[in-house]
Formats: sequence, structure tokens, C-alpha cells
Amino acid sequence: MELKRLLLLALTAMLSACTTSVVVEGSAPTPLVKKIPANVAVYFSEEFKTFTHEESIEQAGNWKIDLGNQNLDFFRNLINSMFTSVIEIDSAELTEAQQNSLDGLVIPVIDKYGFLTPAVSGLKFYSASIHYKISVLDNQNNKLADYTVVGYGKSEGGTFGAGKALGEATRLAIRDGGTRIAVDLSSQPTIKKWLAEKIPGAQK
Amino acid sequence: MRNSCLVVVAISLLTSCVTSRVEEIRTATTGMDFTDEALVILGRASYNDRETEESFTDCLADVLARGEQPVSIIPQKQFKDSLYPWFEPRTAPATSDDLVRLFAQPGVRERIEASNIRYLAWIEGDTVTVDQGGSFSCTVSTFGGGCFGITYWEQDASYEASIWDLENLSSAGEISADANGTSYLAGVIVPIPIMARPGNAACKALAGQLKTFLKKQ
Repeated sequence: MELKRLLLLALTAMLSACTTSVVVEGSAPTPLVKKIPANVAVYFSEEFKTFTHEESIEQAGNWKIDLGNQNLDFFRNLINSMFTSVIEIDSAELTEAQQNSLDGLVIPVIDKYGFLTPAVSGLKFYSASIHYKISVLDNQNNKLADYTVVGYGKSEGGTFGAGKALGEATRLAIRDGGTRIAVDLSSQPTIKKWLAEKIPGAQK
Repeated sequence: MRNSCLVVVAISLLTSCVTSRVEEIRTATTGMDFTDEALVILGRASYNDRETEESFTDCLADVLARGEQPVSIIPQKQFKDSLYPWFEPRTAPATSDDLVRLFAQPGVRERIEASNIRYLAWIEGDTVTVDQGGSFSCTVSTFGGGCFGITYWEQDASYEASIWDLENLSSAGEISADANGTSYLAGVIVPIPIMARPGNAACKALAGQLKTFLKKQ
């Protein structure tokens, strides 16, 4: 029994040693954009808050990429700077009281995460892409738009810096996705229409 | 002391020859006050395989910030973060004509003026290996080991700086630096590297010319 436990422990240790764990870290800059004149709520699901991607690649081994805190901090900062006022709620729908005091609800979701290593792509850098879906609901919980954004990042890395390079590529992918959301969201036709209807005079 | 001299002589002998060339095109007069005004150096990012190495822009910033008349440099990361999202690969102004559009964004002009940034230098280019050959091998056995053979690689470093005047919102000119050198690795029992560093030579040449360019005319 004891021997079996030891063997299991050794096997677990060996398997974990073959997995490259990446925790994405970095700064979360505050976007310098004109605020959308709306008071909104934002809902970050548990999956979004703790997003982790695990993948086994024949040529590049096992990978575990944790976007968690960096992604959440970045989006908190991003959404807070984009609207007049933002509150964070713990449900994907507005309550009756919230419907009376808010103009809408924003729900960011990670649809897909993918990465390439030099062994797979044949290029000299690591790259990552993140497909975000930004759902915007009006204050009656009616979906106005699903806005899909793809963030892309790349970073060079040496033989022993694989985890660091992929972490940097992922950080840049989050940042790139944020760039598109910060710059383009307010000019989406459905968002413009919503603002014009709900907040007369907000969009010219 | 004697040992130090030998090391210096050995290093100078092991440094391969690099040829470099610098060219300048001026489109406006410049006049940077090195004590009050700052410069930001940005590597032009792209989504493809070729882009300016961060080590090159770091080298330029390092060389410019030293010497007799040091230039005040705003770090690239600090600049991009403070003006996020306007200097990202997909939003950065492609030409100096785009500066007017950029400065119309809320807060951009204020942030740049608050940092006293007078000039922005966009750096484009990279260092590539254009030729390589030879053969080189090392062996280790119970009786000892050693290396034998010779291998070489020729590198070409080509960079261009586009200098924009952020006060007048216009282009001030362009400077290009090219350097070429061949490195060797010879094996005579022990491996002997004879290194050419064209990237470093291009960095120093470009930094020197950039400082002269920015000085008050």
C-alpha cells in the first residue's frame, strides 16, 4: 500500500515536471479614451475571473496557462475607464432595483484561447490569441450586441525562457484585445443606437 | 595589471571587423533643449516575423542617456502605458500626418506636454544572418576532449529612425544606420569565438547621429 502511494507520488511529480506552468503577469494601463456616457454594471463570471488554459502539444509538451488575475485586473481597469460609472455585480442579469438606476450591463467572456510555440509554428517567437466576446445588454436585460474581439500577442524566447515568453505573448494578447474594445466599442452601430435612444444627446 | 592588459589585448584581437554607414535626411530644423525636454524611442511593432528588437531600442536609449550631453529619455513602456491605447501595434500613428488626429484624442496632448516630450523617434529594422557556413564539432571522451573546425556567420544590421517633432506635429527627418560583420568560431582544442557585433555598431552609430541631429541648430 505504502509502495503504491510512493509510486503514485513519484508519477505525479514526474508528470508535473513535464508541464510548463505559466502565470500571466504585468501592468494594467488605464485607457485614455472618451468615456461612453452611460452608467453600467459589469459581470465577470467565475470562469472569466479564473481562466486557465491547459493543452498538450506533441512537439512542445504540456502547458498550463493561467490568465486569471492579469486578465481580470486589466478588464476591471478597462471597463471602469470606458463608461461614466461602473459597478461590478455578481449576476448575469440586472435586478429590478439595478434596472432603475443603470443604463445597461456589460459581460466580457473569453470564448477561445490559443497559442503557438516555435516548435509548432517554425517561427522564432511564441504567440497567443484570445477571442473575447463582449455582450452589452440594456437595462431591461435585453441583449443589444455581442461584440467579438481577437487579441494577439507575440514574444521571442530562448530555450529556457519558454514559459516567460508565452506569458508575455499572452499579456500582449490581453492588451491588444483591450485596445480594440477601448477604441471600437463606442462606434459599434448597435451601441450608438442604444446610447441615442436611452440617453438622448449622448451620441451625435 | 599585466594580466588585465593581456585580457584587453586578447579581447581586442578576438573582435571581428564591422563596417557601418550612417545617412541622414533632414526635413525641418531641430532644437532640443537637453536639460528640459525629453525624447521617447519606440520600436515599430508589427504582427509579422520581422520587428525591431527591444534590445536595440534599449541600447539606443542607454547610449543617448550617457555621455557629455545626456538626453532625457522617457522609457518606452512608461510612454505606451501612459498613452494606452494610442501607441499599440494596431493604433500607433503610421505617419507624422496622423499626429493631428492622435492629438485630438482626449488627454493625449496633455499627457505628452506634462512629460515634456519634444521628439519621438520611431525605430524600424532588424539584424539578420545573411550567410553562414563551415563546420565545427566538439568531442568529449574518457581521455579528454576538444573542438575542431571553423564556422562563420555574416550578419547585416539595418535600422532607420524617423524623428517626429511633437511640438509642431511634423516630421523632422530620418536617419539610417547599416552595419555588416562576420563572426567566426574556430576550434583548436578549445573553441575560440571571434565575434562581430553589427547590431551594437549600428546602435552606437545611430545614437551618435541622433544626438547631433536633435541638438539646437
